Amino acid sequence: MNIPAPLIKLLAVLPETPPTVVTVALLNLLRKPLWPEEDFAWWEGRQVRMAVSDLNWGITLSYQNGRFVCGDTPADVTLTASLADYCLIARRQEDPDTLFFQRRLSITGDTELGLTLKNLMDATDFSPLFARLPSRIRMKLNV
Amino acid sequence: MPSLAPHLPQLICPAGSLPALKAAVQSGADAVYLGFKNATNARNFAGLNFTDSQLKSGIEYAQSQGREVLIAINTYPQAGRTAEWQASIDAAADLGANAVILADLGLLEYATRRHPQLRRHLSVQGSATNFEAVNLAYEHFGISRAVLPRVLTLPQIEYVIKNTPVEIEVFGFGSLCVMAEGRCILSSYATGESPNTHGVCSPASHVQWLPKGDTLDTRLNGILIDHFEKDEPAGYPTLCKGRFEVGDASYYAMEEPTSLNALSVLPELIRMGVKAIKVEGRQRSPAYVSEVTKTLRAAIDAASDPRYSVKPAWQQALSKVSEGHQQTLGAYSRPWR
Repeated sequence: MNIPAPLIKLLAVLPETPPTVVTVALLNLLRKPLWPEEDFAWWEGRQVRMAVSDLNWGITLSYQNGRFVCGDTPADVTLTASLADYCLIARRQEDPDTLFFQRRLSITGDTELGLTLKNLMDATDFSPLFARLPSRIRMKLNV
Repeated sequence: MPSLAPHLPQLICPAGSLPALKAAVQSGADAVYLGFKNATNARNFAGLNFTDSQLKSGIEYAQSQGREVLIAINTYPQAGRTAEWQASIDAAADLGANAVILADLGLLEYATRRHPQLRRHLSVQGSATNFEAVNLAYEHFGISRAVLPRVLTLPQIEYVIKNTPVEIEVFGFGSLCVMAEGRCILSSYATGESPNTHGVCSPASHVQWLPKGDTLDTRLNGILIDHFEKDEPAGYPTLCKGRFEVGDASYYAMEEPTSLNALSVLPELIRMGVKAIKVEGRQRSPAYVSEVTKTLRAAIDAASDPRYSVKPAWQQALSKVSEGHQQTLGAYSRPWR
């Protein structure tokens, strides 16, 4: 997957806060439909950072009192990959272990926390989310 | 699609989550094997595996598509905690699993007595490498299938098949280890936990990946087990696949990370009467399950054709997701005696 270089350059100069705030808002919105059984006790008060290697920034997320919140660094665990590789993982086009073997994905800090997050992503059934989209968009996204 | 011809072996695929189970079914697995979220199965990884309600909907989905769900309860009960393992067998029966995959003799006896109608498979963790062992489990516990450890040559597998009424399942693809299945206590040397009782070779809570510039160190409970140079492929953080100093050199002292790939011997396995081909990797993502299942499905369906040959595209697909530099036939091909 190729992300145009000018876009990468543009994104690289962004501050971290706006994408973090948007991610936190989305996660709080999607928590119930996507993870009805998950209590996120393992994330409570822990700082998880997803660093984007080609942008030289990342987002840090935490979970407190039943809600996702913007996190602080230093993080308990940091996942690092390029923007393109994050997209491949999110679209389920690439297996995270494969990227790890190829040194394109790294986990530093609390490995167990990182692995729990990885496995949560793998276990997430996105179909309830897609079911809400209009059929024309679903066809375009091929979901 | 499931097997087109009755003589073809079943394709048994791994699932660590509901999306992986669906990926396996949609990509052509005949059966999916999986485990509960606890130490009763050999892939007890943080965040992996199924809650009861996920399992219920997974079983409903797979069976509605005419596929089977096999539940692995294939570790050995920790001292004083046998009831947890027995409860998992009860849950598997209640949820309507097609079979349970067991290793411990006590659990096999429990399942036979308590749930005689529930099919029992002898797990690879049961470490039965000869027909006498398989037949003993058959006589006492009525097992319908045994999964053979990956230490036998093709002629040895054929010899087992000829001498047992039990269906034989073998591995077709996936990461290899030192293959002392059910007996390996290597990791307990470093962590106090072993795969046999805790269901995990290297518990994530003991694993540390430490980058130093472009290089990467792997430590297991503080013990340095590997060091990777820039861009050098990494492997799972297990002791058996670590590099250690021996004398003046440091190298893979026990085993280099490799993946088994049995595509080239599929016709031979089918001719011998192997009833099921298993794919390793319950810890992997739905993307892996989908890729490997599609490839194995295509290969198995093609393997009864006398003109069968391994397609480069299949090799490429499997090689991409493999652990380690190389794929091997493992013990299947061992020309020497």
